[in-house]
Formats: sequence, structure tokens, C-alpha cells
Amino acid sequence: MSTAAARALVVDDERMNREVIVANLRVAGFETVTAEDGLQAWEILDAHPGAFDVILLDRRMPRMDGMELLRKLKDDQRLDHVPVIMQTAYAETEDVTAGIKAGAYYYLAKPLDRRLLLSVTEAAIADHQRRQRLLDDLDKRTTAMLLLESGTFRFRTLDEGHTLAVALARSCPQARHLVAGLSELFTNAVEHGNLGIGYAEKALLLENRRWRQEVEARLDTPEGRARMVEVQVTRQPESVTFVISDQGNGFDWRGFGQISPERAFAPHGRGIALARTLAFDHLHYNERGNQVTATIHIAAGSDGEDRAACSVAPSLLAATAPPASEEMQLARAMQMELLPQPKVLDDLLRRSGLRVSAHFETSSSLGGDLWGVQVIDPYRTGLWVADFSGHGLVAALNVFRLHALIAQCTPVADMPAAFLAEISRRLAELLPVGQYATMTYGVVDQSRGRFRYAAAAMPPPLLRHADGTVEKGDGAGLPLGLSPRATYAERDLPLSSGGLLFLSSDGLADNPDHDGVKLGNAGIKALIEQARSESLADAVLAPFLARVARPLRDDLTAVCCRLP
Amino acid sequence: MKYRIVDEENGPALVLSDQLLFDHRDVFDTAIDKLLARKQPRVVVDMAGLSYMDSAGLGMLLTLRDRADRAAVAVTLRSPSPEVTELLDLACFDSLFTIERA
Repeated sequence: MSTAAARALVVDDERMNREVIVANLRVAGFETVTAEDGLQAWEILDAHPGAFDVILLDRRMPRMDGMELLRKLKDDQRLDHVPVIMQTAYAETEDVTAGIKAGAYYYLAKPLDRRLLLSVTEAAIADHQRRQRLLDDLDKRTTAMLLLESGTFRFRTLDEGHTLAVALARSCPQARHLVAGLSELFTNAVEHGNLGIGYAEKALLLENRRWRQEVEARLDTPEGRARMVEVQVTRQPESVTFVISDQGNGFDWRGFGQISPERAFAPHGRGIALARTLAFDHLHYNERGNQVTATIHIAAGSDGEDRAACSVAPSLLAATAPPASEEMQLARAMQMELLPQPKVLDDLLRRSGLRVSAHFETSSSLGGDLWGVQVIDPYRTGLWVADFSGHGLVAALNVFRLHALIAQCTPVADMPAAFLAEISRRLAELLPVGQYATMTYGVVDQSRGRFRYAAAAMPPPLLRHADGTVEKGDGAGLPLGLSPRATYAERDLPLSSGGLLFLSSDGLADNPDHDGVKLGNAGIKALIEQARSESLADAVLAPFLARVARPLRDDLTAVCCRLP
Repeated sequence: MKYRIVDEENGPALVLSDQLLFDHRDVFDTAIDKLLARKQPRVVVDMAGLSYMDSAGLGMLLTLRDRADRAAVAVTLRSPSPEVTELLDLACFDSLFTIERA
């Protein structure tokens, strides 16, 4: 099993429904991301195709409904394997049939049954993760199988079937889909064929979590040890055929080729339909049902899928209490570790040409500011500065919370407005009244030449163009954590080659110098202009840092990002 | 920060002066106690004399709003200075409070 929590995307236009599902899934240990309609869900999935293990999808929604989204997912090679659980208020047969035909994994009728929601979601994720493991294995095998013209293979156990599925899939194009399909057919041949575990029986075993155990037990009987599955593979110029025969009594395959509406509500039994949908161009059972012929057509030049990276940063550190004298020092060191390390910035410079630097200074031992950077893909980089109300210990503890939340919001990392809304929603659950955060979150989008950002009550982002002119953005927005339903505007600034993007917390505008004079927003703009071609934060801030009164009255963070 | 409470025709007004900063949380809390103890349906925070407020001041206003909401009391922010107005606008506080601009 993967140690990371499984992540679900919950798509529903009704807030109450979303919250009920999210609450139930979280209690069961899932991570959740929400979307209010199909279009928003699509934007999230399109940006992060590898980030979700399951999608819970409402049927009727504005802008893009559940069916339309489902069809888009199934048409997209990056996403077509993610199980989709549809929910519908009207579990009408034709409704369900349409969804199943379009590739839904399961149908949940509203109002939701909590127990069913969890068991179905878990089953869907287990299926999905098993498929991912197959894919991982697939990447590790050698390619000798590519030389296979024809051959006969025999196996007995599920594990052997798994190994064979991976090896055979490797010999064909579209291996990623094929491995799932072959694996389903091999599993069927063992459990339903040779071991004679019936459909109802399997449902019962799964429910009692005894399926695997029962399979092992039956494999160990004299009959189980004697029965094999045989696979004959024939490769022709335009197709590959797999004939899979078991030594069982045959099974009634007729109902299994498609996922029927009734069966959509049962916890298993969609393996064959999935195999057909995903992997094979043609699937045919012999009359008795102990031999299946599966065919794929070979199209030219169909290979190579990338999996998008979704980095999840480590969560909060737990430390045992050291002696009090060291405590503050340790806490300070821990806070500093939350900031991007030099190596990360070096990598960023090397990979995308962005030179990111920062000045971070706290008003007491611990601060309430945080800044960060994260690579979304080779052309898009997330950049943020955040500032908690107040300073000192409480603000610093909130910074740790925020850092953990940011790591959980990577699925919407390329959508600044959604990102802030999600952070605000989560903070609203955590923070007492009177505490809040301000934040600018933006995406340096080098493919579009824009800095797309959203802001929650921050000083405006500034952009100094190569010709020295400084363009000012807009930092207005409701502070984070006040309302679970706060929404934010996405704004943008045009990037230009050699330009300098500048973000700061209000400490830069508000910390007075020795004469009590504050820089203010106008002063910041002047500072950036005067810095001419300087692009490192300490150099840009040098005139200010020389004059500011210390100890600082408020935490100070300034981040510079120089464009290539 | 200095404050006084003035009973006006439409309810009590909390008249603030000087600066509202992080260090004034306790004083501000006491002021809220007194303001809400008047048990009037509407209260005003007069900010005309407030030359400066930092981000902690926003937090204090939010605390006032929360306590007033629970007591079903409406809060109006009155006559903020240009500098304070800038901060209120930056934080979109007009979506949380009624603001009477000078």
C-alpha cells in the first residue's frame, strides 16, 4: 500500500453536499479537494492529472455537468483510469446506464449512505492503486518481450498472473491500459475460473475482508494446485491476440461484459467491463465461459504518456521538549526550515531560469511571515508571501499550520484564486476570531508570459520591466481565515524578459526608520526603481535595511524573482 | 490608542484616537465589553481621530464584529482617515462592515 493518504476530488455545486462528503472522507483518512462545478473540476484535473485517486462527481451542475466532465475524463489518456463515482438524486435506470456507459465506476444514490460512500470509495481507490502498482512495475521490466512473435504461458496464482500481465503488456503499444485489462482477465481466470469463487461469494468475501485469504486457501487445495491458466499470445502485423483459458467449469460471462445498472451498486464485478473499455478492441468468451479471446489493434505511433508530478511536502515536525533554554532557538531553527532552502532555489534557477531571492527578518525570535516557491511544471512556478496577524509565538504557530495547509493545496497550485479560497476555507476551521492571514499567491507562468496571482490584503505585487518602469498590481482581498466561503479574484501582470517581480509583506511598508518615517507603498515603488538592475532581495532592500529602526516592529519579508 | 464611549442619538459610539496597534488588544477588549454592555441594537466605531492602524487592528475589529454578531448588534465604522481607509479597502472590509466614509 502507498503510505500517502489517498486523495479524492469532490465535485458538487451544493455546498452542504460537498461538506458532508468531505467530512466523511476526512474522518476516514482521505485527503480531499473540492470543486463547485464540472468546469472548475476540469481545470484542477487538467493541471494535475496525477494528483487524484478517485473523483466523486455530482450529476447535475451549472457550467459543466457531471456527464460532460466524465466524458472529458474518459477522452483524456492522463485521466481515463481515475475511478469516478457518480452521485445522483434520481437514480433512474437510464440515468445510471448513461453514466455507466460513459465509464463511471459506481453510482451512489442521494441521499448518501455514509457507510456505502466509504466502502465504495475505498474499493475504487484500492482498484486504482493496484492499477498504479501494475504501471509502476511495467516501467521496470525489460523490453525483451517486444521480440515476442507467439508463445504460450501458464500460471496458477494471482501473483504469477500479475507478473505475466506486466511482461505481456510490455510487448504491446498502449501498455498502460493493456496491463490493467490483462490483469483483470487473469484474475478472473484464477478466482472465478479455477477456484470457482462465484460472484455473490466474492461480494461477501470482500465485505468481510477475507477475499485474499480465501483465494490463498483455495490455491492450496489439491484442485487449486492442479489447475492452471493458459495464455496463448499471437502477434500479427496489425493486431495482438491473447487467448486465456482456465480449467474451471466456466462462468456466466453474459452479464459481465458491460456494467449493468443493477451491478453499478455492487462493490465489485466491473473488472471485465473495465478491461474491455480500457484495454481491448475486442473481447470474446467461448460458450462455456472458461476461455476468453482478447484482441488489440496496433496503431502506429501510440506511446509515451507522462505522469505529472505532484509534490507533497512533509507535514509538521514533531519534537520532544528540550530544555527550556534551547526551546526558542530550536523553534526558530524549525521556522527557518520552512523557508525554501538554497538548493531548491539553485535548482529552480537551473531549470527555469528564475532567480528567486528573499529577505526574511522577524521582529522577535519567532515570526508570523512565510514565503515559498514551488515548481508546478517546467513553465509554471508558484510563488507566495504570507503574513499572519500579530507576531511572536502565536503567529509563528499559525505559520506552521499554514505551511502544512499549503502543502495540502498543491492540486490547485496553478489556480491562484482557488488556491487562496481553499487556504481561507481551511484556516477558517482552525483559527480563532481575530486571527487571520494575508497572502499573495501567484504563478509565474513562463509559457504565457504572465504573473497570474490572487491576493488577500497584501501590499501590491510590483513588476520592474527591463526598461526600468515599475508596474503595480493590486493586493486587495479579504484576509484568509475569516470566512469559509471567501472568494478571490485572479489578476495578472505581464512578464517581460529581464524583468523583476517583487512581493513583500506589510513589514516593508510599515516598519519606521530612526526618524519614525515609514516607507509606505510609494516608497517601495521608489526603492525598486532606484535599485536599477539589482535583482537580489538584499541588494534591492539595502537602502531601507540601512535605515530601518531595530528591533523591527513587524516581521518583514520581501521576495524577488528575476525573469530570464 | 485612547478611547471614549459617547452615547449618541442612534446608539453608543466608540471614539478612537491616536494609533490602534498590536499592543492595544487588552484595552480594545475592555472597550468592546463596555460598548456591548449598552445593549443597543447599533454601535458605531468612530475612527476619525485614529491616525494609524496596523494589521492587528483589523483583527481587533473582527473580534468586535464577531461579538456584536452574536449579540445581534450592527456595527458601523465611521470616518476612517485616508491611511486607515487604505488598509480597510485592502482587506475588503466593506464586505464585512458598514463603512461611513468621511
